[in-house]
Amino acid sequence: MALQILQGTLDLMILRTLATMGPQHAYGIANRLQQVSEDALILNQGTIYPALVRIEQHGWTCGTWGKTENGREAKYYTITKAGLKALNEETKRWRQMACVVEKLLPEEQ
Amino acid sequence: MVRWRRITAQFRVLLFNKSAEEDLAREVAAHLTLLADDFENRGMSHEEAQLAARRAYGGVEQAKQAHRDKRSLLWVEQTMQDLRYGLRSLHKSPGFTVTAVLTLALGIGACTAIFSLVNAVLLRSLPYGDSGRLVYLYMPSPQIPIPPEVICPSYADFFDIKKQNHTFASMTAFEQAEFTLAAQGSVNRIGAARVDESFFSTLQSTPELGRVLDASDNQPGHDKVAVISHSLWQSIFAGSADVLARNLVLDGTSYRIVGVMQPEFEYPFSSDLPYGNPRIKSTRIWVPLALTPQQAASRSPGADVTVGRLGPGVSVSQAQAEMSTIMASLDKLHGDDKNVWGALVKSFMDTSLGPVRPLMKLLLAAVSLVLLIACGNAANLLLARASDRARELGVRAALGAGRSRIVRQLLTESLLLGLAAGVIGVIFAYLFLRTLPLLDPGNIPRLREATLDVRVLIFTAVVALLTSMLTGVLPALTVARVNLTDLLKSGGSRPTASSHSRTQSALIVAESALVVVLLAGAGLLLRSYINVLSVPTGFSQSTVTLNISLDTRYSQPQQRLEFFNNLIDKTTALPGVQAVGAVNSLPLSNSESFSNFWVDGYGNNPEQLVQLRRVTSGYFSAMSIPLVAGRFFTTGESSSATNAVIVNQSFANIYFAGRDPLGGRISQDEHHTRWKTVVGVVADVRHTSLEEAPSPQMYLPGFQDMFGSGYVAVRSVLPPSTVASSIRAILHGIDPNLAVADIRTMTDLVSEASARRRFQTSLLTVFAGIALLLALVGLYGLMAYSVSRRTREIGVRMALGAQRWDVVLLVLKKALTLLMLGLGCGLAGSWFATRVLRGFLFGVGHDPATILTVCGLLVVCGVSAALIPARRAASVDPMEVLRTD
Repeated sequence: MALQILQGTLDLMILRTLATMGPQHAYGIANRLQQVSEDALILNQGTIYPALVRIEQHGWTCGTWGKTENGREAKYYTITKAGLKALNEETKRWRQMACVVEKLLPEEQ
Repeated sequence: MVRWRRITAQFRVLLFNKSAEEDLAREVAAHLTLLADDFENRGMSHEEAQLAARRAYGGVEQAKQAHRDKRSLLWVEQTMQDLRYGLRSLHKSPGFTVTAVLTLALGIGACTAIFSLVNAVLLRSLPYGDSGRLVYLYMPSPQIPIPPEVICPSYADFFDIKKQNHTFASMTAFEQAEFTLAAQGSVNRIGAARVDESFFSTLQSTPELGRVLDASDNQPGHDKVAVISHSLWQSIFAGSADVLARNLVLDGTSYRIVGVMQPEFEYPFSSDLPYGNPRIKSTRIWVPLALTPQQAASRSPGADVTVGRLGPGVSVSQAQAEMSTIMASLDKLHGDDKNVWGALVKSFMDTSLGPVRPLMKLLLAAVSLVLLIACGNAANLLLARASDRARELGVRAALGAGRSRIVRQLLTESLLLGLAAGVIGVIFAYLFLRTLPLLDPGNIPRLREATLDVRVLIFTAVVALLTSMLTGVLPALTVARVNLTDLLKSGGSRPTASSHSRTQSALIVAESALVVVLLAGAGLLLRSYINVLSVPTGFSQSTVTLNISLDTRYSQPQQRLEFFNNLIDKTTALPGVQAVGAVNSLPLSNSESFSNFWVDGYGNNPEQLVQLRRVTSGYFSAMSIPLVAGRFFTTGESSSATNAVIVNQSFANIYFAGRDPLGGRISQDEHHTRWKTVVGVVADVRHTSLEEAPSPQMYLPGFQDMFGSGYVAVRSVLPPSTVASSIRAILHGIDPNLAVADIRTMTDLVSEASARRRFQTSLLTVFAGIALLLALVGLYGLMAYSVSRRTREIGVRMALGAQRWDVVLLVLKKALTLLMLGLGCGLAGSWFATRVLRGFLFGVGHDPATILTVCGLLVVCGVSAALIPARRAASVDPMEVLRTD
């Protein structure tokens, strides 16, 4: 089943990816998201750019240009301290929200 | 906090967009390379890998745009884009831009100028605390047929009212006065006021230096102190700091200066007191009133003015109710006089501003019409331009610009026009304010204080904004309605012409209608002004007049008689002087004296009043007032004991109807203890105003022994300045401590009496002229535009045999149709305008002659404006036109 990304969750996923895997470029992040979702998430890779720029402008990541193992240049995003903090908060919020939704759904059935 | 950081980041991007854009391009390229590498590793060929990478990535441009939208403040960026684009496209068509901006600038400038007047006169707060709570208190009597605002309560009544009332927080009484001020080797007459201890506190005015007058100053023996105005401090003491230690010599008496008032405080101004001393334009010295016990106990009304400040929460009508009650009881204490005294409470603001309010409204209405016309013109220009740009806009729409985006773009352009027009309009308004003093009629309060302050500038900004919206919205909507398919199908050859030109024609019709209304209004005012100027004044306008006021040294009638006779004799002896006379108050000088009278053999009404003047024997000759019957006074008849009287024509017509006035008898008291005999009848003179028919007037001799102050009138062949300097020399020879004041010719007085009318007429005429010009520019523009669009049609017509003259007629016919429609609507409008204007008109009402002139003017100007494009149309070469298409 192909999933649409829930509004606002992309930021969380990107931050989580960066926190787990260390500095990554956009391609890497997109790949990782696809892997983790076991291809359930269909992602036009270009669509993560708005999220990347939003996160960077919040000061949660910091981008620097570097080289990949194959010698290609790429922009690497590193999560910042503020980013880690935001990740914690967002995760908490997500869990709460997921909890609420989870509780709500059986009643509706 | 986080949000804030993001917004600053977005603003940074706005400023450094270029580097962000490059960075993005680089990143996308890198991403694609990595993707393609992966695909190649999985065994694809290079080309396949590239394609697959693109597919996996999705739309590159969409991703970039999404990135851009996120990284920057979208609306700011779009607005900046619109601005840049707007500026560029306006720059590309300078003819259009200049015309549109100037048109709007004229409208906005006129509005700004008039609003700055209204702001200074009506809106800006007065320097008297909460001036809305100030009221004048009058004591009118129905038996005295003069305006109720002339008489204020007598001092005894004033003190009783002050004691008994509960509605006033404070009250003050003061009198206007003039002093001869000797300073720096010259003597000048200065407007002053004698004020009680509550004067400054009631007006809530504080001094700039020293103190104001208090109760102790009003004690006899301590009253030789004075507070002076800021302007007097500057002019006489050059603003020196030790002014409080100095003295002023007023009418020969020394006053110690105790205070200097703030610059703006020169109350009362002439416009503050409708029946104040006309020679006092503003007050520059205040001295204690210091009433004697007799004055304080007097119940006969004097020359005082009473001002009160209402208590908190008290309305004018509440105060009026209480004052009426108090005056009703005080009236019983007025034992001997037969008048019933009432009370009238009138708001200070109404008194001071009431008379100019209608004028300000009229001017505002006129400039609003001018602005509307300017808007119409600019909208028309924009419409024409928009339909020329239909193809460009259609292409933009085809490329994905939304309708709202296009409307925004067009509105941004008109906003730019409006802004530029606002700036130029402010410059126009500034120039107008610079020329304003030339027009100042002198009786509009604070007119000269009109400036472009913050409030005016905000007003201008709002007007400019509204104007932009008004002019921009119609064209923008018309364009946005464009049907894209039709447009592109037609190859962009101006598909929406018909609906556009209907709107444009409607605008021109509306404009000409407004112009007719404005022109008719201006025409009627002009006619009224001419009527006023051609009123027979009854006196020679070249006569030179000047005021001389004797001081306390001339307390005996005999002294005054000798002084004036001496002065008149010496002046008469000057070479070139033809006649010299004196009078207690001049015509059109805003002062009047009245008397009860009884005519022998007439059914007298005990309350009838006549305008009364005391004159010397030479007065009529000096003023060239013609003798109708009988004779003038002789030089022997110079004392008030003389029983001769001269009446004017109106008097004779009413009170001696059907009989010979000469030898008729008039008395001024009920018991007829002294009958005076009519020795002459003179022609009517306009005394009160140019616009009021002359009332019955009576002249008595005895000016010299009854008055210490009056006007000398000199008729001569000499220039006025020579007369003035000769009299100054004579006066100096008789008494060097006296000053001549108020030197004017009667022309000046007439001119002053018609100044308000001149002011309103010239302003309205200028605005009507601007409106006409704008409408003509609009008409010309529309005609030129429609000719340029119809070039092909005209070419075909001519190829099919139409003559040049037919083509000219074709264009003129359209222009005339529009003008006629406009005229029709305008005539209906001007019928209403005439009714609204009625209060401003004199000797003219619904006036066919004016209306016809206006129509003729509009048609002639309109046809001339249309003739230029018509001739251009006629010069079309059919071969050329047909070949190009």
